[in-house]
Formats: sequence, structure tokens, C-alpha cells
Amino acid sequence: MTAPELIESPSERAPRENFVLNLGPQHPATHGVLRVKLTMDGEFITRAEPVCGYIHRMQEKMAENRTFAQFLPNTSRIDYLSAMTYTHAFVGAVERAAKLQVPPRAEYIRVITSELNRISSHLVWWGAFLLDLGGFTPLLYAFDDREKILDLLEAITGARLTYSYYRIGGLYNDVDDAFLSGTRAFVSHMRPRLKMYRELVTDNIILRKRLIGIGPVSAEMCRKYGASGPVLRGSGVAYDVRKAEPYSVYNQLDFDVPHLPEGDSMARYLVRLEEIAQSLRIIEQGIDKLPSGPVMAEKVPRVLKLPAGDYCYAVEAARGRFMVRIVSDNKEIPYRVKLRTPCLSNLSLFEEASRGMLLPDALAFMGSLDLVIPDIDR
Amino acid sequence: METQDDQILKDCAPFVRFGKLDELLDLGRANSLWPLTFGLACCAIEMMAAGASRFDLARFGAEVFRPSPRQADVMIVAGTINKKMAAAVKTLYDQMPEPKWVIAMGNCAISGGPFVFPGQYAVVEGVDKLFPVDVFVPGCPPRPEGLIEGILKLEEKLTGKRRWPVPPSQPTQAS
Amino acid sequence: MASSSFATNASFMTATASNGTPAPASPAANPVAVPPVPAPVQPVAPPPEPAPALLAGSVIQLHVVDHAIKGVHLETTVSPDQVIASALEMDQAGLALDTITGVDWLAEKQMEVVYDYFHPVTGLRVAIRSRVSREDPEIPSISQVFPGANWHERETHDFFGIIFAGHPNLEPFLLPEDATYHPLRKDFAS
Repeated sequence: MTAPELIESPSERAPRENFVLNLGPQHPATHGVLRVKLTMDGEFITRAEPVCGYIHRMQEKMAENRTFAQFLPNTSRIDYLSAMTYTHAFVGAVERAAKLQVPPRAEYIRVITSELNRISSHLVWWGAFLLDLGGFTPLLYAFDDREKILDLLEAITGARLTYSYYRIGGLYNDVDDAFLSGTRAFVSHMRPRLKMYRELVTDNIILRKRLIGIGPVSAEMCRKYGASGPVLRGSGVAYDVRKAEPYSVYNQLDFDVPHLPEGDSMARYLVRLEEIAQSLRIIEQGIDKLPSGPVMAEKVPRVLKLPAGDYCYAVEAARGRFMVRIVSDNKEIPYRVKLRTPCLSNLSLFEEASRGMLLPDALAFMGSLDLVIPDIDR
Repeated sequence: METQDDQILKDCAPFVRFGKLDELLDLGRANSLWPLTFGLACCAIEMMAAGASRFDLARFGAEVFRPSPRQADVMIVAGTINKKMAAAVKTLYDQMPEPKWVIAMGNCAISGGPFVFPGQYAVVEGVDKLFPVDVFVPGCPPRPEGLIEGILKLEEKLTGKRRWPVPPSQPTQAS
Repeated sequence: MASSSFATNASFMTATASNGTPAPASPAANPVAVPPVPAPVQPVAPPPEPAPALLAGSVIQLHVVDHAIKGVHLETTVSPDQVIASALEMDQAGLALDTITGVDWLAEKQMEVVYDYFHPVTGLRVAIRSRVSREDPEIPSISQVFPGANWHERETHDFFGIIFAGHPNLEPFLLPEDATYHPLRKDFAS
């Protein structure tokens, strides 16, 4: 939408003045604590300036005070909705640097649990997004399905949200048959639910009017800001870290990378729902191909020191590209750990993309970016 | 005459209760706590799960999360309080009208949680450093059942007695 | 180019070298710690497009490293005044800015800024490093080339105090607005 035409009464010319409105840091669109300073011309935004740092929890500083194993619980809490994938990136970086061979069974279980985590993250996004747009029902459906995933993961990890399931060299706990049969049952339960979501919500005329054409983001803009994940894939670029820099056993599994060219909020919405379907495919293949064997590498040193140098490891988290860069000086505590999080890059294009938007449209756009604010602030 | 009054009281007892107005108001307040949507971090997701289908805070009258502090009774502080955020949290607390209560959910709200380390510069170590807290719910994050137990404890604080009976605990095996 | 803090771990050194061929193993002081001389080293997998064009025509002398160990395909170190030129080169090659990292090398009295780039179509990964002095850490800002650098540079300034010359608003990003401390410096005490 473009900025409005000035309609002035011929009899008097009232002085026009933009006003500044604070969106947050506490607001009901529960992405977290984000404050956006909006300069408004009536209902239209002339400038939106996100202010971050309200949930800055010193993750990178803590990494310099912890051994590699002690930092694992922190990795789950950076983006708590896709906690497994973030732990995967960190242990992957350490294993890459220390040249540890993770057993294949552990790799397959990591893939299965990461994809279950991705589905549960997308379900939370879907429910909360519809809540922002004004529909309360999808949240209840989404959380009901999500509870089934959490039951499965709680049985093997002991936690519902912040798992810390992976260890350096593998996993700390093997899965049992109940988990595998329960996961298969969940996959066959979820497929008809996706169909129901499409009929109930995606084909709903109100949702379509609120999302189609809203917040167009071009592929070039995504590249300039470093956006990744469904934001980039909703703008036509089929970039997925699982295909671009294959890690774990993703190169042995068959899945598509959903992408749409329109670049609006509806495209990002549809990309995420299709990613749930693709994750179900990956989980099925993972269970079919699951080999037997140990789940922990042999000879993981108790005092783990990485050779000096930089090591990077990138994963495809639910929100985009998450990369860990560990700088080591051959001690058991890293010298520097840099966490490249997707939401920071994804949100950085909000200021440019939201100029001239209506405020409700800007909220729909922000919801379609799928933000978790502790991911930005770390 | 006395025996007749006593007899009337005994007959009416199933239908008529006598008590103080305060007790009635406390019962009303306890059974309709309106929380403020104040999810800061990870605990917010478990708070949402507590309000969603499986755990269902609506059973206890507490599902109406109010976005505005002026309409809320209880502030469930779910997540880490940052020094940058502390002023906003205090403002929200001040904006809530009396009577108001605070539930500190999760280890971060109780004492700073896992983010306390020597040399830490950004985290307020517990929300009770800012204002008084009524119920502490430990966990990282606590299960939704834990939050529900916290709300029941708050109800017990308001009304003086616990609404649901505590199940008898199993005798532990001597190891 | 290699910083003095890289340890001479023999098995690590044989896998990476300036021009992709295996470097000779350096003799270790303690023979017990060194693994036996390895069999012919596996060649590094060729990096994806547009690496050949970048390697041939680059002014900043990129070289290939082993992605299986380091997580990047191409790497180089530039002086601070070449930072904008390197960013322009990455932009023209179609890469996106991944992140900007600061590292405080207290012992060497230097600060390092690492620019990570990724190609959104081919997945090529490039890391460009630069060093500034610790007493006067100033480096040109690349926010005119990549608008996404705006927030990354603000964050690096927050944590290390590095001044990005030419940045439109170098205010605190994650720290409170009135913060004057730089917490990720190695000599920071709260």
C-alpha cells in the first residue's frame, strides 16, 4: 500500500505532524520482547525502527566461560523453539574441529529429532501467527498436535522445550521402539491434519485477504540483508543449508525445498506449511533407514580441547540459517563463539520493507517473518 | 427458640452459607485470575501451552490473558529479566491496579536462572529484586502442570484453602 | 597471513595450505602426540561456483580451504582499507552477508573482524578477515554495500568498541542505550 493522499479541508489547514508510537516491548503478539519505534502518519508507517536488547542474555560471553560440554544447555535456549537444531550446530562445530566420528545411528536419530523439532516450531509459529491476525482457534489445534511431538521427545530426552539431547560425539540416550512406533503414528496422524489446516485456515478468504500482497520482499533485498530460511525461500530462492552445505545424513535423504516466487506474506506462510510436509517425509525415511549400533563416538576425550583456529558449522534451523563460528586457542574453553542467528538478519529488512505500510499489515508481515526475539538478542 | 434456630440452620446448611464478604470476594478473585500476557523468553511457550488445549488454564478461570496491565490481576513473569527491560517490567507492575499478584515462573524469574555467572552484566537476578512475588514456580522451563500448581497455590493464598486435594504421595522405596 | 596463535598440530596442518596442496608435516617436539604420517591426503573438494571466477580475478587473494574442517570454502586476510573493496567484490559475485564477527586478541594487542559471506544459490562460503589495533580500533563500514551490515556492525561495536567509520548510526544495539562498556573484550570486568 502506498502513503495516502492528503485530504485537507479547504477552510483550515491543520498542521500535520507525525507521531511516534511504541510497539512493545510488551505486546500481545508473543514473539518476545521486541520494541519497534514507529513513526506514524495516521495509520501508515513512515519509519519503523526495531530496538533490540531487551532479552540480551550474554550467550556469547557465557561461551567464553564454559567448556564445550557446559555450553550445551545454552544452545537450547538461544532459539528455544528449534532447540535441537541449534544444539546440532554447536556439537557439529566441535566434532568437526575435533575430528570426531559420530556413529550413523546417532546421525539418523539427530535428523529425526531435528525434523520433529522443526515441525513443532512451525506449529507454534502457525498458531501464534493466526493469533496475531485475530484467530484464536488454530492455536489450540496447533498446540494439540505439538503436544504429541513433545510426548515423543520427552520420553527420550526428559525435556519438553529445551532438550540438550545431543552430546559431543553423539547422543546421551538411545531411542527405543516405543519412540519409533510413536513417531510413525504421529506422521500418519499429521498428514490429514495438514489437509484440515489447509481447508480450515489457508483457504479462508479472510486470511488470504490479509496475507496476499502484504510485505513484498524481493530476492535481491533478501541477499542484501542476509535473510535466509522461509523468508528467502518465499522470495523465490531455493536456498536450504541442508542442500547447500549438507551436514549429518541429509545428503542420503530425499526431500524437496519448497519455494515460491511471490515474496509476500502468503508465500512465506505456504512455504512453512509445505516444509512441515517435507519434514514428515524426512522423518519417515529416517526411521526406515535407521541403522543399529552405538549412539556415542568412541574415545571422546574427557577434557576436550580443539586445535587452534576457526571452525564454522551451519544448519538449517526452523527460522533460517544458523551458523556457529568457534575460535579456539587450544584450551578447553573456547576463545570466542559467534552465533549467527537467522532472526537478526530476517528482522533487519523490516525497516526498509515496512515503509508506507498500514500498521496491521506491518504486524502481519512481522508475523510472517517468524521471529523469536532471544534469537536476535542472544 | 434456640433449638428451632439451630434446627433451621441445620436444615438450610446444604443451601445457605454464612460468611464474610471478604471471603466471597477472595473466592471470586481466586477463581477468575486474569493474567497479563508477559512472556519474555522460553517460559512463555510453556505458559502458552498451559493455556492451550491439553493443559487448559480455562478450567481454573485463568485463560483470559489480558494484553493491558490495567485489566490484569496477576503478572506471570515468564522469562529472564534484563537490565534494559527492568524499567519496563516495573512500569507494568505499577500500572496494574490493586489487588494484584505476581507469579515468578521459571528459574530466570526466581534468581536469574542459568544466566548468572561471575562477570555477568545484563541479567537481573530474580524478579523479586524489583517487586514482591507471591508464588515461585521453579523449572527451566517448568512444565505447564507446574504453572497450574503455581496458580493453585496462589488461589490457596487468596482463599486460605487449597481447591484440589493433593494426591497421597507414594512411599519411597528404601534404596 | 597465518596468525601466530595457530598451533602446529601436524594432522591439522597437512589438510590446509595456501594453494590447496598438502603442506609438509612439521616435526613435533613430542613424538608421542603426533599421529603416524598419514597416507596420501584426500584432496579438498572443489568449491562451488563462483569460486573459480573469484579465485582467478580477485584483488584480495582468496585461497581455498577445506570446508569439511573449517566450514568455509574460500578465505583471506585483508588490510582494513581493502574491506570495502572486498565487500564490493562479494556483492558483485552475488554473495550475501552472513555475519560480522569480532575477536579480541588481547595478547597480540589487536582486534580481528571476520566477515562471513554465503552465496544464496550455490552455497559458496567465504570468510574475509581484517585486523585493527586494539588501542584505536577503526575499520571502514560496509553498510553502504550491504545494508544488512548495519546491525552486525552495531553489535560488534557494542561488544568490542570497534568504530566502523562511515556507519550511519553507531548506537548501542543489544546493550542499553547509555552503555559505555564493551563486554566481550578480554579485559572487561563488570
